[in-house]
Amino acid sequence: MSDKKSPLDRREFLLAGGLVGAGVAVAVGAVVKDRLPSAPVDPTGEATVRKLKVLQKVKPQDNEDPLVRMQRELVRAMAKPVEKRHWIMVIDIRKCVGCNACTIACIAENKLPPGIVCRPVTTQELGQYPNIQIRFMPRPCMHCDNPSCVPVCPVKATWKRPDGVVVVDYDKCIGCRYCLNACPYGARTSDFGRYYASDVAGGSGTGADRPVYGPESPWEHLPNNEYAKNWDRKDNGSPVGNARKCHFCLHRLEVGQLPACVTTCIGRATYFGDSNDPDSLVVQLVTKHNVQTLFPHWGNKPQCFYVV
Amino acid sequence: MTVNSSLAQGTTTSGASSAPVLKLIWIIWVILLAAGLYGVVQRLTHGHLPAGYGSYVPWGLWIGLYFLGVGISGGAFLIGAVGYILGLPGFSRGSDLRTAIVLSIAALIPAFIGVGLDLGRTGRLLSILLSPSFTSMMAFNAWMYNVFLVIAAVSWILSFRNGSVWLKPLLVLGSFMSVLFPSQSGVFFEAVRTNDFWNSPILSVLFLASAVALGGAALLLVRTLIGPGSASQQALSDNDQALGTLRTVTVTGILIYLVFEFAEFSIAFWNPGEHSPNVSFLLFGNYWDVFWLLHLTAGAAIPIVLLLASSRTGWAVAALLVTAGFGAARMSVLVPGQIAGQIPGLQQAFQDPRLVYSYHPTSMEYLVGCFMLAVGMAIFYVGLRLSTTFGSGSQERA
Repeated sequence: MSDKKSPLDRREFLLAGGLVGAGVAVAVGAVVKDRLPSAPVDPTGEATVRKLKVLQKVKPQDNEDPLVRMQRELVRAMAKPVEKRHWIMVIDIRKCVGCNACTIACIAENKLPPGIVCRPVTTQELGQYPNIQIRFMPRPCMHCDNPSCVPVCPVKATWKRPDGVVVVDYDKCIGCRYCLNACPYGARTSDFGRYYASDVAGGSGTGADRPVYGPESPWEHLPNNEYAKNWDRKDNGSPVGNARKCHFCLHRLEVGQLPACVTTCIGRATYFGDSNDPDSLVVQLVTKHNVQTLFPHWGNKPQCFYVV
Repeated sequence: MTVNSSLAQGTTTSGASSAPVLKLIWIIWVILLAAGLYGVVQRLTHGHLPAGYGSYVPWGLWIGLYFLGVGISGGAFLIGAVGYILGLPGFSRGSDLRTAIVLSIAALIPAFIGVGLDLGRTGRLLSILLSPSFTSMMAFNAWMYNVFLVIAAVSWILSFRNGSVWLKPLLVLGSFMSVLFPSQSGVFFEAVRTNDFWNSPILSVLFLASAVALGGAALLLVRTLIGPGSASQQALSDNDQALGTLRTVTVTGILIYLVFEFAEFSIAFWNPGEHSPNVSFLLFGNYWDVFWLLHLTAGAAIPIVLLLASSRTGWAVAALLVTAGFGAARMSVLVPGQIAGQIPGLQQAFQDPRLVYSYHPTSMEYLVGCFMLAVGMAIFYVGLRLSTTFGSGSQERA
């Protein structure tokens, strides 16, 4: 190269400008296209209407158990197309006694392996003796209306359904765990392929992770029914390696059952229902003044509300 | 160590394979490969069970190394291409450009291996390219890297042809991308808007500055090892000037990084906010040694002193230290950003070794890191040999 010449001649300069310009245009186009609202991937309309026969013979009564009322409202909501429902959860932490029944129910219902928890219950000690209080706070997925976990997914494996439930497609998820970091609530956990059965009984287990080594038991491959599919985790198949989270027990809703955490709450502290139904119990609860969401400053618009 | 012309020949011809330094490098490579393969076998047979990351600290050493490789790749290409376009002494020959391109590719491919093995479903790696969502910086970056790889490969091929009208325009595009994708590595973290420690625009600047420093250091190391590639007086003089340029670039990159890093941390201390616990963890908590010893002392202060001195051995050592130091710097961004949970008591709510806000890389993770390094060295060696083989028939640029 001659020192006297310009680094690029006119032709090279134009080509370089064209390449950079075209590259920028393609990149911007791709990003803008994916940012624009698109049609839902889920089925909508009449096909999603469910004529459930649950509680048909049970008449509404005054002072009936909130579970019965919510079940009735669930049937009513399922009779609408999916896009007309909007599921929310309300947790009255004044009533929560920290029994962890919801945590266990979720694990049992979804056959969650070690290290996967969709609804832990935190315990906080507040104040100083003698003015002291313990507060229990269940933490399901918040099913945010503006979820920070969704846009970071590089393969469109997670999205918000028309009924407000944030879901994961186990057949698409690549297990990059970006969504785990994006969720400020720590509501997503990764399935690292662990099993409860182990060789601990043989006396060989030591160290933090050793108890989960060893051959898994057959019962650990019984399929769960998440997203109304059978997932048995055999041969390290999905959801091993995937991000997992609370999905409001969608498979139960489809057959007219409330989420497992709701039905097992011994203090009746967890409420679930359709916020589009003005007569529902959850709407009555969230329209009161003593309702808060967790970390509203992030702008995620969580759809799990806490009565405090 | 002096500029070892025989070693230069040794790496590019078969005649000097007995050079002591080359022998040492071969021995190191074999050890790295053997150890690395053991780690890869562990990863493939036991999955993620032997790894130290979990659900609350989902990213670990491999992601740090991935971003380190991306930085070296972008920086090496940027410096090599800009030097070639501007005709800077020591950068203006086709062989100089090819060395930079090969180094860039050799740094990027192991980064892919690291992130591929980090995935929960490694078999679905290509989904990022086949069904991407460009709302995610991960998908955008993946496409950028692959387009960049193609540009780098085509530039490498064109560099053998004299007077190709497409070479410089492609190098301009490649340089443009070399600025973008290391910066986007910062955006990768910044885009996590719910994390105060990461959600700062300064990360892009930090990652770009470190990429320039890393590229400069990597090229400096390579040039110190393989020499000018010719015994002519002009080549020696050009090489000396190139080494000077690379030292300046490396030191400047380090200093810019440190200035902006200080600016970032000073905010946390002058006006403590949500992310001051992360900063405290990094500076005074369990991560203090990574930050103060590896990043600042070994990775910045000592290299700057060595690069300002006149010993070529010192420059090579400095280049290695800079690379290791920015590896620590990557971890200083990665780990503290994940270490402070936002919900009080979450870790205690459901106790499990994978549900903890702490992270220590395990032996398997280090071994896979060795594998990544071994693969990078192998790609660089093969690329350099190919450059020499095909380049010997083509006329070098003046």
